[in-house]
Amino acid sequence: MSGKGGVGKSAVAAAHAVAAKRAGRRVLAIDMANSGSLGAHLGEPDLTFAPRMVGEGLEAMTLDRADALIEYLRVQIGVPAVATIGPAARAFDALASTAPAIREVVSMGKVLWEVKKGEWDLVVADAPPTGQIGSYLRSARTVRQLVAAGRILDQVEWMEQLLADPSRSELVLVTLLEELPVLETVETIDWVRDEGLVGRLTVIANRVLPPLGAEIPAGEGPIVEAASLHHELWSEQQEWAAQFHTDRSLPYLFGTHTPAEVAEQLADILEDGP
Amino acid sequence: MTRALVVTGGGGVGKTTVSAALAVAASRAGLRTLVVTVDPAKRLASALGIALTSEPSPHPEEPQLWAAMLDATASWREVARRHADPEVTERLVDNEFFVAATSHFPASQSYAAAEQAATYLDARAWDLVIVDTPPASGGIDFFTAPAQMADLVGGRLLRWLTGARLPGRRFLFNRTAKPMLRLADQVMGANLLERIAEFLMDLRTTYDGVAKRARQIERHMRTASTLVVTTSEPAPLREAVRFFRALPEVASPPAAVVFNRALPETWIGAQAPPGSDVNLAENLERWAAESFRQRTARREFGERYETSIATIPWQSHPPTDRDALAAMVESAQGLPPLW
Repeated sequence: MSGKGGVGKSAVAAAHAVAAKRAGRRVLAIDMANSGSLGAHLGEPDLTFAPRMVGEGLEAMTLDRADALIEYLRVQIGVPAVATIGPAARAFDALASTAPAIREVVSMGKVLWEVKKGEWDLVVADAPPTGQIGSYLRSARTVRQLVAAGRILDQVEWMEQLLADPSRSELVLVTLLEELPVLETVETIDWVRDEGLVGRLTVIANRVLPPLGAEIPAGEGPIVEAASLHHELWSEQQEWAAQFHTDRSLPYLFGTHTPAEVAEQLADILEDGP
Repeated sequence: MTRALVVTGGGGVGKTTVSAALAVAASRAGLRTLVVTVDPAKRLASALGIALTSEPSPHPEEPQLWAAMLDATASWREVARRHADPEVTERLVDNEFFVAATSHFPASQSYAAAEQAATYLDARAWDLVIVDTPPASGGIDFFTAPAQMADLVGGRLLRWLTGARLPGRRFLFNRTAKPMLRLADQVMGANLLERIAEFLMDLRTTYDGVAKRARQIERHMRTASTLVVTTSEPAPLREAVRFFRALPEVASPPAAVVFNRALPETWIGAQAPPGSDVNLAENLERWAAESFRQRTARREFGERYETSIATIPWQSHPPTDRDALAAMVESAQGLPPLW
């Protein structure tokens, strides 16, 4: 799940995890950006690298990069000398700042490994926003082009294949029907299709307003103000909706809700089908 | 003296629009004002009415208003040019890792923004420079980036790679002694780290210049006024809180927290007149609930963090011209004097 910052991507990711759990599937939810937002929507604000049970059939974790690197080296690359990895993890941030795609390939490697190993029916990754998602989706390919040899090469090959397999992986882009989120989503769709990195692509419009269902009344006062505000916002959304294809819509949730309530309510709507 | 106003906040809160609106208002109040924006929406750029480039351009019709856009890549090339030998500069800017480091380094865009802003402040050509920060880390990156940059260039990684304080090329080939390098070779293939280290050694020649510049930039940042823009949505609020906690270490406390897109408080508890259409009554109820939620979030924030809270009313349409931008500032409530 990706999307421009502020579009409610973590809430939508959590809702998908909750809906799948309710359908009796074994689900893992991963906060890739370690932002804390996914955990809040799942009612467990303090996620750790070790998955935590947050409901029957639903576990959640956050991607701590140092932990992810250690596990990556141990499990996927087969580096046995765990003792030497401590300093490596500390220097990792510095290395990842310079060597392209290293940070991203470790994060993507962890997510895709959870998919590959087959313990889950669904892995939902709350991924970095669309501004950064390219370097994550491209990371396996970048590493393959940069690294001539070494064990990491075998790893990135299966990662690329898994990501491009429409029966195993899907990129979900969450957007609002507003100028900047729509333009950024269209741009993302274009390059994802051009580069053929992801097998399946879905676009979800979040916080979509219902039509007013009445004419704006004459006169003044809150009822008129609220009606004209609603109508103008709704018209604006309709304008953007007419300009590109969205696979499904989730409604604007009015009033006060906790993050967990937001995820539960959106899950109700996801369960009802498109 | 040129004053700086740094506008921070999470993504999607309208920070860039607020920065532009403040710039129009300040220029009309008689200050020579430059606004530096990050990636503005096309509509905002046209509302502002200035072709945005990395060079500040004066507005054709607003005599006191200038605008510039942040260009991270151009700014980085400038950093290399300023602080390295011409020969090294050429090697650097063409280097695959330079491109990677400058586009992947988490604080990269923020550093470029801070460096660019400092340049404008040094120029002393404006009374006020308003800086719209990149959205990463709610704006904190903008303040910490210079130190991080000096750290990167100063060779934290290079020291780790070679184990030497001031490494020369010969250390690189002494790799058999370093289990980490052997391990890295197995994992990533030979030469990758060597290529990175060579790049870092070139980069390191810029250290003295960059470190000095970083200290200058930090001085500017510490004396700048700051403003936090947010909405009442949970995610932007979390960003605003994060900024609040980290701010005292790097900058002056914010002049205000601006809650953008605030719904009228007069809607809270408002009743639909008898005989109203049922859809309209429901609509009022929904939006009144939204307005109540927003007010609660603002009050909680103000009480918890003891800061002035300002609001800018929700605009049903984004501002389409400079008058609309200036009107946005006029309609704001609780905004302290910023210039």
